[in-house]
Amino acid sequence: MFPRIVVAFVWLALTGAQAQTPAPAAAPPQDRSAAPVAAPDALSPRNANYRITARLDPATRTITGDETITWRNTSNTPASTLQFHLYYNAWRNTRSSWMRGRMLGGNTPLAGRPSEDWGWIDLSRMRVLRGGAADDVFTQLRFIAPDDGNAEDRTVVEAPLAEPVQPGETIHIEIGWTARVPRTFSRTGAIGDFYFIAQWFPKIGVLEDSGWNCHQFHSTTEFFADFGVYDVQLDVPKGWVVGATGRETARTDGAGDRTVHTYSQADVHDFAWTTSPDYIEKRARFEHETLPAVDIRLLLQPEHEGQAERHFAATRAALQYYGEWFGPYPYGHITVIDPAWQSGAGGMEYPTLFTSGTRLFVPARAGQPEGVTVHEAGHQFWYGIIASNEFEHAWMDEGLNTYSTARVMDQVFYPNYYTKRYFGELIPWSFEDLSITRDTDGNRMPAYRPVAKNDDQSTPTWRYWPGSASAITYNKTALWLHTLERMLGWDTVQRILSTYFQRYAFKHPKPEDFFAVANEVSGQDLTWFFDQVHRSSNVFDYAVDVFRSAPASERGFFGEPGAQSFDPARRADGAFRTTLVVRRLGEGIFPVDVRVVFENGEEQRWNWDGKDRWKAFDVEKPVRAVTAEVDPERVLLLDVNRTNNSATLKPAGPAAARKWSLAWLIWLQDHLLTYGFFI
Amino acid sequence: MLVAGMSAVTLLIALPLSLALRGMLEAHFGRSLAAEAPAAGAGYEWWQEFLAQASGLGATFTPSIIGFGAVLDNLSALLDNLPMASTIAGATAAWMLIWSFLSGGVIDRLARDRRTRTAGFFAACGVHFWRFLRLGIIAWLLYTFLFLHVHHWIFDEAYPALIADLTSERTALLIRIAGYLLFGGALILFNLILDYARIRIVVEDRRSAIGAIAAGARFVRRHAGRVTALYLLNGLAFVLLLAAYAVLSPGAPGTGLGLWAVLLLGQAYIVARHYLKLVFYASETALFQAQLAHAAYTAAPAVVWPDSPAAEAIVNPSTRFARSGQAPQRAGLS
Repeated sequence: MFPRIVVAFVWLALTGAQAQTPAPAAAPPQDRSAAPVAAPDALSPRNANYRITARLDPATRTITGDETITWRNTSNTPASTLQFHLYYNAWRNTRSSWMRGRMLGGNTPLAGRPSEDWGWIDLSRMRVLRGGAADDVFTQLRFIAPDDGNAEDRTVVEAPLAEPVQPGETIHIEIGWTARVPRTFSRTGAIGDFYFIAQWFPKIGVLEDSGWNCHQFHSTTEFFADFGVYDVQLDVPKGWVVGATGRETARTDGAGDRTVHTYSQADVHDFAWTTSPDYIEKRARFEHETLPAVDIRLLLQPEHEGQAERHFAATRAALQYYGEWFGPYPYGHITVIDPAWQSGAGGMEYPTLFTSGTRLFVPARAGQPEGVTVHEAGHQFWYGIIASNEFEHAWMDEGLNTYSTARVMDQVFYPNYYTKRYFGELIPWSFEDLSITRDTDGNRMPAYRPVAKNDDQSTPTWRYWPGSASAITYNKTALWLHTLERMLGWDTVQRILSTYFQRYAFKHPKPEDFFAVANEVSGQDLTWFFDQVHRSSNVFDYAVDVFRSAPASERGFFGEPGAQSFDPARRADGAFRTTLVVRRLGEGIFPVDVRVVFENGEEQRWNWDGKDRWKAFDVEKPVRAVTAEVDPERVLLLDVNRTNNSATLKPAGPAAARKWSLAWLIWLQDHLLTYGFFI
Repeated sequence: MLVAGMSAVTLLIALPLSLALRGMLEAHFGRSLAAEAPAAGAGYEWWQEFLAQASGLGATFTPSIIGFGAVLDNLSALLDNLPMASTIAGATAAWMLIWSFLSGGVIDRLARDRRTRTAGFFAACGVHFWRFLRLGIIAWLLYTFLFLHVHHWIFDEAYPALIADLTSERTALLIRIAGYLLFGGALILFNLILDYARIRIVVEDRRSAIGAIAAGARFVRRHAGRVTALYLLNGLAFVLLLAAYAVLSPGAPGTGLGLWAVLLLGQAYIVARHYLKLVFYASETALFQAQLAHAAYTAAPAVVWPDSPAAEAIVNPSTRFARSGQAPQRAGLS
């Protein structure tokens, strides 16, 4: 890595006479004269370090960039090639694997975008520097498609090396490129003067012992990269506000109404930034008795100025509860971006920066922007620090984070109310009778239910069916983690998650690592559980079928052989026989409790292993039973039909049906009168 | 009486579908304990489970039906030209047909400004029905043009194009409101012309729907200020009613008395909407008569039998001119 002062000098020489002014509230420049890997305070391996200079030209919507990657081979395998992600090429044309996936999933309008909306990245040079020698590999570059063999996909490029990079060896790679910023695809791009720039630079893949892990960009996946130090200079029009990963360490006004913003951040695995002349900036601070303080910088759309405190409250809530439950947020600062309306950039995580998302009108208890803010702030932990492979196991960050988000929401913001938008989706109306709780909204059962069988969760994420990848990734994981919480208790699950967090911070854990921690901390072999919920697409549905409770009677021939006599009603002891048949309607197997409640409040419980397709239960009591339930405590939150889990001999169904059909009647009458406008 | 009758018609059209939905809900709940939450209050989860398996009529049973949400849902669906379930579309068509039939008698009754007997009322309905049907077909064509072309142009072409590069939702909202005003203006203009065409068919005993539309248009053009002011006044009354319902509507029905209070309030709102609808008819009829009233035009006071001037004209055309002071010519009518 080049010393920072040299970078600054070169920049000054290139851009001419400039007046350098320190950035407001900027952190002191860090001395990066030493190799980042040698830094004693390093939290991560820092084996993929980037120094980038980039210039944004809004007129042509182009970024011209140069970068030097200082990369160390941390695997046990010599690297005879280098592989890089060129994510922007996913939006070059409809032949990319990303676009094909989107269209396969039914999102065809994207393919009809006008020419100015498409984006790409073209490399202009690539040199590999090692031991004072430079190897120009540019002419040998070739696009590869390791996942699907799509020869038209240009999202991964490979550079052959004259000499393999040995384990532990460090090389420098110089790359020049030009990127056309698209109208937002996959949360990166531009609209008007609003730019949100992510996955924008050539990014080296992750070399594992088994070889390169450098997937093509797919519509169902996000990203995977090694940790490092990022020093990035962003040259943008003067007066435009910039937000980026890390802290701003310098700001230099240049000629021609341009300003160069320098951002630095260590121990992260990505760098994203945004710029717009319209942002308004707000600041706040998170402080806690036991957790490190965090400066919060919020870049807000002017029309959302009144919602600043809602963003701060949600960010603080995430930092507090994730910090208390899993581990501290180590960076000391975080930037919250409220993206422009229609930018399509909302709800996305990047190291030390995330995009939230709100609307012009948001009722107080509508769940947003709090929900998305907590979720994306939470990704600083599940994704930012625990850097699992989102190409292959997206559930490990998205699912864990959806579960964690719901817990935080439950602590601070629930109940929210069902809110629907009318008149072109612009005017919201909250239904305060419909509380949104963790069980319902937080776990997102409604979206999971119809697609539950679409994929085994253990299938690599990039191979998920595009139309349901989100539900299998986010919703199903939240449901089974919450189920696990109800099985083991929150204390145990919290210890599982905090152990996992502390053990794998700044690493790339795999599913087996998480399962091993769960087994270890819980003291149980939970393989059966993960087989059911993770390694299959089984649907869970237990149901009460037969439920009777009537005076016990016996009829027939009784007595010893030779002395038998017919007794039409042998018993007259006033006892009631209760019969219950419980069925397993889905393929999923889960041990469940079965409970019968009697008229006197007494309960009878059985524990059923849930394996057979049905099981009958019989009990005699002096009183009649009134209700029967399978899984009465609702441990199995993955059960897709809760209605059939119970039966009562005094059903409220008719009353409920009458009441709601009468309420619906008013809607229908109003509908008729509304269309009466035409008569 | 008219309000009660028209409300009853609406209720009778809606009730069978409500009973069908009730059957669906009952079948869904079965003997489940899950029914206790919706029986006692509202609840989101059972609703999602129901919708997950519902189709057709059942799929219209969304949380939007609660309280004032129902009003927003219907207005928004109309203004945004959202598709409706086929069963609901069928009920709507039937309701509009029946209202077309009844509105002849209603306008006749309002024009006369005095009670009419049942037979006279329905005689007027019958006399005007085919004329109204012809008018309705033309109106349907006009409104179809408005929704298929004007609405499509405003909201599916112009609006998306105008907001395509906007980064401010506020600006988009203003543009959408402008779109609603533009489209609403066109709707109201058509509505006004057709309203006065309907009135002229009844009051002037017109048979030609096209002629009535032309006459309606002439009236609207010549009395644009008064016609518009009256329409806006009626519109204001409608907005005030909606505002009152938005404030008073308690949301989801509870149990016991609370349940019936909510349902009664809802029905009171529905009756009030019928009342306003009739006020609309009445005020427009009165305005028309105030502007163009003379013996040949109005059905006013002197006629004793039959109550409807149109029916009367059929029985004995000479009675149309009874207003001039002559005694009815037909034996037994004096």
